[in-house]
Amino acid sequence: MDAFYASVEQRDNPALRGRPVAVGGRPDSRGVVAACSYEARQFGVHSAMSSAQAARQCSGLVFVAPRFEVYRGISAEIHEIFQRHTSIIEPLSLDEAYLDVTTNRMNEASGTRVAQALKQSILQSTGLVASAGVSYNKFLAKVASDYDKPDGLCVIPPERAQGFIDALDIKRFYGIGKVTAARLRNAGVHTGADLRAQSLPGLQALLGSSATFYYQLARGLDERPVSPNRVRKSIGSETTFNSNVTDIEQMQSILRRLSNEVSESLVKRELLAGTVTIKVRYPDFTTVSRSYSPAVALQSASAIGEIVCMLLARTRAVEESVRLLGVTASGLIASDEIEMRQIEFRFQPDAQ
Amino acid sequence: MKFSISKNELLPSLQQVVGVVERKQTHEVMNNLLFEAGDDFLMITGTDNEVEQRTRLPLIVSEPGVSTIPARKLLDICRSLPDTAHLDFQVSADKAKIATGKSRFTLATLPAEEFPLVDALTDPVVMSLPQKQLAKAIRMTSFAMAQQDVRYYLNGLLLELSADSLCCVATDGHRLALHRTPAEIELAEPVTAIIPRKAINELSRLLDDSDSDLEIKMTANHLQLSLGPLQMTSKLIDGKFPDYERVIPLPGGSIATVDRESFKQSLARSAILANETYKGVRLSLDKNLVGIQTNNPNHEEAEDELEIEYSGSPVQVGFNVTYLLDVLNIIDGDVAELHLKDDASSMVVHPGGDKQSTYVIMPMRL
Repeated sequence: MDAFYASVEQRDNPALRGRPVAVGGRPDSRGVVAACSYEARQFGVHSAMSSAQAARQCSGLVFVAPRFEVYRGISAEIHEIFQRHTSIIEPLSLDEAYLDVTTNRMNEASGTRVAQALKQSILQSTGLVASAGVSYNKFLAKVASDYDKPDGLCVIPPERAQGFIDALDIKRFYGIGKVTAARLRNAGVHTGADLRAQSLPGLQALLGSSATFYYQLARGLDERPVSPNRVRKSIGSETTFNSNVTDIEQMQSILRRLSNEVSESLVKRELLAGTVTIKVRYPDFTTVSRSYSPAVALQSASAIGEIVCMLLARTRAVEESVRLLGVTASGLIASDEIEMRQIEFRFQPDAQ
Repeated sequence: MKFSISKNELLPSLQQVVGVVERKQTHEVMNNLLFEAGDDFLMITGTDNEVEQRTRLPLIVSEPGVSTIPARKLLDICRSLPDTAHLDFQVSADKAKIATGKSRFTLATLPAEEFPLVDALTDPVVMSLPQKQLAKAIRMTSFAMAQQDVRYYLNGLLLELSADSLCCVATDGHRLALHRTPAEIELAEPVTAIIPRKAINELSRLLDDSDSDLEIKMTANHLQLSLGPLQMTSKLIDGKFPDYERVIPLPGGSIATVDRESFKQSLARSAILANETYKGVRLSLDKNLVGIQTNNPNHEEAEDELEIEYSGSPVQVGFNVTYLLDVLNIIDGDVAELHLKDDASSMVVHPGGDKQSTYVIMPMRL
């Protein structure tokens, strides 16, 4: 769905139409933007940005408190539309899902026509605009769905796949975050074609254990099935350094950045973390982890960052120096399942 | 080491120091109490390496010496003896033999050299302050300390002392308790310390409302105080307590005055049907009325209503009911003042008429 929460709010409140809208915490709270309208995106506002920052960037931004019950209702409605076509549905969040329509209930041979029918039904039944991507595997379908938002319908047939991938910016590849993207760019890998030019051992040096996966993606190969029962157990981000990090302040700043990434994923998936874990690998490759389960599940980058910096002190990171740091959120709870959420004191002014 | 002592002398001393001995110790020897016998005294010490309790009792000792004896077992033996019992201790290299009446006990000892004792404090700040005021400040605030929080500096109580004021602050990140009172303290420079939870619990037990002064010695790492024969030494938490002034809202907002007892009872019954994990309660304030409402995932719910004094605009706000009850249980007076702004802002609670104690509670999102 395009700008899902924000579109719902604009649909239900005509006064918001055509205006920059952010759904999420108020700017004077420690909240973050859960979703924003396309009008707001023009000002550089994006989801997972702190509400305070968003307000500074876009002075006319209208903040609306999220109504998860409404979104969940619409999500169920859309899911029913999906069900008319296939039962192989893998939801990624309330407003995003993979559908396997290889065989489908309408006996429609063309994936493109299935996508057209879905978009049409969704618009008729909810008044909301969806974007669809059609291809022969999950990686390409996802890339295609993001390709010409809003109201997009992008089809990547097998014969055009390689050309499409070759031209794709590296950061559009599934699972490539800012950090990995930067590492790849440093190695001269900017596009899918650059990625495909790498040998497997070359990629292993850059990407470690996930090298084979990307080696195949670059060639249009992605065998991951659409799995209806997939439940995410954890969300993590880690980074290996070219040279061991010895400075505690540098470690803390890396941990804060990783916390930021984890927090962004949590916000995007509407999840809260019940447990936060730090992973530390010493120069001799021994790896330790330390976990903490706060009294209340959390989502914000600052809260996660504070905890992981504390957990760092429980390792021998400073004495030994580190070659890898990782942050993982687990014990994940859907944020709309939490009917009540304890608000925390803000002892420090928010980081800019 | 050889000495004789009556149960009535020994038991109270054991009880004074055994409180700090943890059931699970990192070092075997800390399961034991240190016994040091001089010619005319017996000193008994318990520790968990954070808090150390020592008590000294006058005793004619037949053979001075030192050793460590299992704390819990000795306490249990001592408790189980008749009140008139007299115990003969004979402690050799690795055993403590206790004879009383027709009973004989042999306990395994560990060498006294292994027992970790805090060194004498070097150049401590020495101050004298009214015991009654410190006892009250701790009583009014300690419930809000965090427990095993990763932010270790919250697992304790902040003590701020100056020549004319005594202040205690505790917070777990969701609620905060502060008690500040004018006090005459013999002290040159103001001092600040975070006293660990365990030491605060021991202090709550030891201090009473007597008017006598209490002598406290403090260094950067330790706090030590003596009460009669007992000396307690605690490590201080090495960390920076958060800037608590930041989270205490400035005066403003609407004030509701509630009957403390009625409010407490109403919350306690509503709490029965609150969500067991989040313990949320919804307060709806309107003109001279507060509605109290809870529900849980089983679709059970409770509703209550209470007359109050309130003339502000209508407010609906959620709180953890435990946090509200903790405050209402600890404060004195017939009424409590609630200062509220909106459903996203903290609430301040004052005991009616008492401005020394301030409680701040963050709301829950409904």
